Parts: sequence; C-alpha cells; structure tokens
Amino acid sequence: MNTLKEDLKEQIIEQLNLEDLQVSDIGDDSLLFSTDGVGLDSIDALELIVLMEKFYGIQVTNPDEGKEAFLTINTMADYIEKNRK
Amino acid sequence: MSFITAYCQITERSCTINGEIVSEKNEQSGESWFKQLYKELAVDYPKFYKMDLLAQAGFIGSELIKKADQDRLVTYGDDEIALLFANQESSADTDIRFKESYEDKKAPSPSLFVYTLPNIVLGEIAIRNKWFGENMFAVLPKFAPEFFVQYGSILLANDSKAILAGWLGILDGKIQVFVFLVEENAQSGIPLNKENLIKYTGFIDQV
Repeated sequence: MNTLKEDLKEQIIEQLNLEDLQVSDIGDDSLLFSTDGVGLDSIDALELIVLMEKFYGIQVTNPDEGKEAFLTINTMADYIEKNRK
Repeated sequence: MSFITAYCQITERSCTINGEIVSEKNEQSGESWFKQLYKELAVDYPKFYKMDLLAQAGFIGSELIKKADQDRLVTYGDDEIALLFANQESSADTDIRFKESYEDKKAPSPSLFVYTLPNIVLGEIAIRNKWFGENMFAVLPKFAPEFFVQYGSILLANDSKAILAGWLGILDGKIQVFVFLVEENAQSGIPLNKENLIKYTGFIDQV
C-alpha cells in the first residue's frame, strides 16, 4: 500500500508537471484540490482520470465517485485497491 | 508618437534585453532552455511548468520586459495595457504533441488540449498580471511589421495606453521570439514603425 502511495505521488508529479514539488511534499492526507494542500485544478482532475486508466486500468465514470476518490493520496490508493482488476 | 520602450529577443541559444545578451543556453543542463530562463528570472509561479512552449515563451518575454524596468508598467491601470501578439505557426507545436498523445500513446492529454489554441498565451499573461485590457493574437502567413504598427495605432487611439506585443515563433525546436513594449506617452524610445521593427527583430529575410 505504501509503495502504491509513493508511486501515485511520483505519477502525479510527472503527469501533472508539478516540477516544483517533491514526493515528500505531498502528504498522504493532503487535500489534492485545496490551495492549502496540493492545489490541483480542474484540468488536473481530468489528468488524474487519464492517469487512473493508463496506469491502473480503472475507468472513473461516476463524477461523485471520482470526487471522493481524488480527495487525497490515501483515498486514491483505497479506490485503486478496491477497483483494480 | 508611439515608442518601443523595451524589447527582448529569445532564440534557441540566447536571450537579449534591449539588445544586450542577458542569458545563454547551458547545453550541459538537463533542463529545457525556457526552464533555465524561468529559474534565472527568480519568480515564483509554479503554473509556468504546466504551460506549453508557446505560453512559456510569452510568459518569459513579458517577465523580461517587466524586469527591464520594474516601475514602468505599474503606472498603468489594469485595463490600459493591451496585448498584441502574432506568429506563423499558431499552436502547431502543441497541436502535434496532442495528436501524438491520442494517436500513439492512446491517452489524450487534457493539459495539452487546453493549449491547442494560440491565444491561450494571452490568457496566461493576463492572469499572471491581472491585466484586463484589449488582446489579440493573429496567425499570419509571415512576420508582418505593418500588423503591429497598424493594429497598435488602433489600440492606442482608443483606451489602451501601452501595448505588450510580440512575435512568438515556436515550432519543432525552433524559437523565434521577440517581445516588445509600446508606450504612447513615453518621452523617448524607438519610434514604432515598420523599419524599426524589421531592424530590431532582425527578421529582414522574412518580410
């Protein structure tokens, strides 16, 4: 699980071009879409959907589900564990 | 009379402000040329990393112009500075990368898609500076100094007091960027006319 979270952070930094961030800057419970957290925006949300499909084979089709899944690294990792085929 | 009061030029290897070289590309660096320039600017604007090359070019050009005289632009109201940009390639550099993202990698990139219009660079500059003036991005068959002179005079005849203008040639590794500031009430500078634009851009072979 911890490896999954570290992988997720690396993929987010890489895919979303967050070059000013290090893996250690993103806490497992940091809010991804809050300015107090990682500060992602709506385009980043679309990139996360692409990332989920590309790396984990998961299609996020339900907006409400995605909203909860993309809250933090912890919720993303949980969502992947539950939905990975 | 309108004057060019500051200008900067970026090529594949060097960057000049008002004709003086301020930076040269470090070929040994693993970072892109624009990232090298961004770091030298020492501004804190993480969104820069998400921009495509066209937007990065406009962003760096505008920041260099501001750096050339830090007090100059703050004297204008937020709707008195117009943006007037053009190029020949439109957003083709990013269009091609976006096409590759869905054809080759089978994953269309939303962050690339949002830059598949050339005028997005104007939005980036306007957001960065909170400028709400007139703006125009033209895609032209070739560099046309008359466009800047004529369209610029229309802008200045109306509500704009200054124009941040530029030619942003970005395609396939080629960089031909010339950004300049035109002011209506400047005491001195380079008169804005076709001859001077050709002279200072060095684009004589393209006119």
